[in-house]
Amino acid sequence: MIALTSPIETPWHRLPAGPKLALLCAVTLGLVLTGSLSVQLGALAAVAGLYLLPGRDFARAGLWALRPLIPFLVVIFLWHWFTETALQGAGIAARLLAAVGLANLVTMTTRLDDMIGVLRRVLAPLRRLGLRTGALEIAIAMVIRFIPVLAIKGRALTEAWRARAKGRPGWRVVAPFTLLAIDDAEHVAEALRARGGVPR
Amino acid sequence: MQAGGISETGAGARLTGVSCRLGARQAIDGLTLDLTERRIGVVGRNGSGKSTLARLVCGLIAPDAGTVRVGGVDVASDRAAAIRQVGILFQNPDHQIIFPTVEEELAFGLGQLGQGRDAARQGAHAMLKRFGRAHWAYRAVHTLSQGQRHLVCLMAVLAMEPRLIVLDEPFAGLDIPTTRALGRYLDGLDQQLLHISHDPAALTRYDRVLWLEAGRLAMDGPAGTVLAAFTEAMEARDDRTDLAD
Repeated sequence: MIALTSPIETPWHRLPAGPKLALLCAVTLGLVLTGSLSVQLGALAAVAGLYLLPGRDFARAGLWALRPLIPFLVVIFLWHWFTETALQGAGIAARLLAAVGLANLVTMTTRLDDMIGVLRRVLAPLRRLGLRTGALEIAIAMVIRFIPVLAIKGRALTEAWRARAKGRPGWRVVAPFTLLAIDDAEHVAEALRARGGVPR
Repeated sequence: MQAGGISETGAGARLTGVSCRLGARQAIDGLTLDLTERRIGVVGRNGSGKSTLARLVCGLIAPDAGTVRVGGVDVASDRAAAIRQVGILFQNPDHQIIFPTVEEELAFGLGQLGQGRDAARQGAHAMLKRFGRAHWAYRAVHTLSQGQRHLVCLMAVLAMEPRLIVLDEPFAGLDIPTTRALGRYLDGLDQQLLHISHDPAALTRYDRVLWLEAGRLAMDGPAGTVLAAFTEAMEARDDRTDLAD
């Protein structure tokens, strides 16, 4: 599930979205450019501190959101272990964890519409060229909204399959699932039109 | 809040010679209606044209012939004016809610009416407060129950203050207590309602009920008369169900 803005109010929520995103870019770039292990570990410790400052519950929610990173970290570390560059592997893993951790922190503490507001400002030159950026902005919100909806639909389809079949469904549910998603998209398009359509 | 008085303000929906084809099927066939009563119900069998009528009144689809005006606005062509006149509550909230959080969902419509970001957010919070749901503002929509998502849809529609609200079977799939609670909210609204339902019981206290059959009016009149005739006709038709053919 996509980690949305955390309901636990933190000091980081009050920082404006633009500077937060700019800082995230700068720090991530810095982490990629430097090879020093101590800088990577220091950054990781600093990010951990940012998570812990608002309290334990917040840090736990953040850690939970970073679970998908675990297999990547394991593979990176194991690879470097076998090629006898374990120290370098630890550096890469720390860099990855710090960068994604910081990005996740920004996600957890920034309202989606503020994030989209930043995008809107960044895209202003394209609007002057006559392009409608509203579609892009609303698409981001809709992806986050409809991933859980489609996940539920997918589960229902799998259950309908298993109710009448012995094995697992596999690739054969892909086509019906696609049709289902298209049908949903048509309904949502109608709802969007009912409220004035895609903004400019 | 102001009291109803639809007929005095000259609002309401007017359909003149409206026909609408969906693929090969004539979904609405030469319908002329003047809808000015505060509470209007629509009944009919599956495929009788009820949902097409709802979509036409909201301007979501354009008629092949005739005109649909709500509050004097041609709702299919003048969308900017139409969204101030008419809102719709769909059957499935997951087909209606566009944004991942409740506040954004409510603020979106207000933004579409031309309000700035802060005004739209304030409007969203005011609407949540009116329904005693201020604590929902930052909730993720997918964590709400089906009934709660229905209420979000209703609040999002109400926030835009349309004069007419079209309800396309809003109670489908809800349990009895939730249906009752949502029904009480709807009864308390000042807006004109056009309520499409499979359940005659939901419309008993309405001012007027339309019975559609193959895209035409089978009957049009006071709720008591039309619902009694409709129920009798449906029960006499056990042999001709939607499953035959």
